[in-house]
Amino acid sequence: MNEQPGLSDQYRMASPWPMFVALGIPIAELGVLFDVFPVAVAGLLLFCGSVAGLLRESEYVSSPWLAMGVFAVVLVGIGVAFVFTDVKLVTRGYAVATAGVVLAVGAVGGSLFLPDDAVV
Amino acid sequence: MQITGQLALTVLMGIFLVGVAAWLARVENWRSYTPLASGGGGAHGTGHAEKPSGVIRWLTTVDHKDIGILYGFFGIISFVVGGLMVLGMRIELFDPGATLISESFYNSLLTNHGITMLFLFGTPIIAAFSNYFVPLLIDADDMAFPRINAIAFWLLPPGALLIWAGFLPLGDIVPAQTAWTLYTPLAAGVGNGNQANAGVDLLILGLHLTGVSATMGAINFIATIITERAEEVTWANLDIFSWTILTQSGLILFAFPLLGSALVMLLLDRNLGTTFFAVEGGGPMLWQHLFWFFGHPEVYILVLPPMGLVSYILPRFSGRRLFGFKFVVYSTLAIGVLSFGVWAHHMFTTGMDPRLRASFMAVSLAIAIPSAVKTFNWITTMWNGKLELTTPMLFCIGFVANFIVGGVTGVFNASIPVDLILHDTYYVVGHFHYVIMGAIAFALFAGMYYWFPIYTGRMYQRRLGKWHFWLTMIGTNLTFFSMLILGYAGMPRRYATYLPQFSTLHQLTSVGALILAAGTIIWAYNFATSWIEGPKVQDGDPWNLEETGMHTAEWEWFDRKIETAVTDGGEEESVVADGGGERDDA
Repeated sequence: MNEQPGLSDQYRMASPWPMFVALGIPIAELGVLFDVFPVAVAGLLLFCGSVAGLLRESEYVSSPWLAMGVFAVVLVGIGVAFVFTDVKLVTRGYAVATAGVVLAVGAVGGSLFLPDDAVV
Repeated sequence: MQITGQLALTVLMGIFLVGVAAWLARVENWRSYTPLASGGGGAHGTGHAEKPSGVIRWLTTVDHKDIGILYGFFGIISFVVGGLMVLGMRIELFDPGATLISESFYNSLLTNHGITMLFLFGTPIIAAFSNYFVPLLIDADDMAFPRINAIAFWLLPPGALLIWAGFLPLGDIVPAQTAWTLYTPLAAGVGNGNQANAGVDLLILGLHLTGVSATMGAINFIATIITERAEEVTWANLDIFSWTILTQSGLILFAFPLLGSALVMLLLDRNLGTTFFAVEGGGPMLWQHLFWFFGHPEVYILVLPPMGLVSYILPRFSGRRLFGFKFVVYSTLAIGVLSFGVWAHHMFTTGMDPRLRASFMAVSLAIAIPSAVKTFNWITTMWNGKLELTTPMLFCIGFVANFIVGGVTGVFNASIPVDLILHDTYYVVGHFHYVIMGAIAFALFAGMYYWFPIYTGRMYQRRLGKWHFWLTMIGTNLTFFSMLILGYAGMPRRYATYLPQFSTLHQLTSVGALILAAGTIIWAYNFATSWIEGPKVQDGDPWNLEETGMHTAEWEWFDRKIETAVTDGGEEESVVADGGGERDDA
């Protein structure tokens, strides 16, 4: 156990993640709907990252990086579908796929440099 | 220019995300999580405190009571915003012409008053009560999914900002003028008006978010009430308020996802060229069917928990148990089921198949039966009871009185031939405001007064409470009864201007609205000052419920809380229960 526990470890009835999950949804929706690339990417990153953190905190997953990796795959899949199928939402597809790629990089980087089981 | 804008946005978003990550890294040490393999729970070595202090407590809380209070504050802010919107409209309607504000601004206020009161005040303020009290009533530690609970709340502030975005100084964005029903083709942005503007898209997105929030909350309540009850809380002795929340959550589960889907379809029609609601595609009637399949259950989503509040509070001040408890529960369930079979009564004048119309009329009339069962049960509970006319009790009685007017006018509306005459007149507006303001808001005020000692630890000012009730009762009836008469006289709804012959009734309606505003200001002053400096409640039974055997679980919890709290000196005057000393006058 680490010397200085985090917020949600120290306090039984607090978690920093829900507010950011809730903030990520509207930002992502606005970005994708109005086709604003940076807003869409930022919103998706915030949403997926916070959900991964929340899943880890509530111990539904053993590592946030794995959850982020799964989200990355899903986002890249949706992005590719937007770009290459009849849906033809090319620019939005690129935004979703980019968010997926950034998440994947984050997941790989995180698992390399901040492995969750290194502290037990 | 556009590339510079994109670059600036990218930098802005980058800074935002880095800021979020930095804040998270500061408050949260990810390495400190107890690994799953060790069994979680109880394994935390360093700290066991419940919540951090200051603002961070409120931003990070997952405690059902805190989230209830957050919902409450959010609901009250929305109530103020929606109330100011309608005051603007009613002051404009003092004279027949559009003298104070333009017709288009009137339309914007009308649209946003409805959406604000239904989605940003009604649903959240009910969630305030259910979050705070359902876990206490069923003796659960917390909600089944505390974090989902927090997410559901935090979706509301961004949702509200999006809904109100049209009123903010944001470049070319104009407020929506679609009315809360968002009927196509107007809401699809078709035609020469300005409703293709992004302001309508933002409103739809905001509405979508509040729908997601309500759905998350509903799933949580269903799971909590079914799985988190203490052993001694059985289906047979589950309290009436939790029953209504359970039923309401079931309705939300079926109604809100449908609204969400229909809103996404509308957004796609507006932005991506689909034709779900276009004349050449699904047709405008499809929107009306989808909207009202959600919209009518929404009425019961809003009214069932307040009915639960009245069924819960009214017996406490009647000195008797709720008459026919089982039938109140059955009627709640019956209303829940029937509510999905009445939606087309909003569409009798659209030219739909008369055979369909008749069946919807039959179900709509049938829903009067369980509603009447409840009304008779409230009246028979009071019959020969030992009534204590405290402020919460007055609001409960006001609820019953106004609900009867609102309900009976609804029965007439449900009848096709009557509806064909009264459709789209002020009669309809009067009818549903009798239910929404006269009944729902009354019950919510009753709840706020009844549990004020629990969530503040203090007692409100009795005299101001009574002023609030009487002003609200008089204001409600003056405003909305005038509307009923206006409707009979043929005044169509939704207009910023009117013919001179309607002047007197419109002025009466506006005076009523101002009386309501005066009552609301008194209420806000009373709650604010009492919360800060009201007399502290000394024991867990400020209403003397033990005398009549009406003491309930949440007050027992409150009593334990007071007993375990560290005393901070007994300087302040002790509290006298509201109305206790005034029974002789009543």
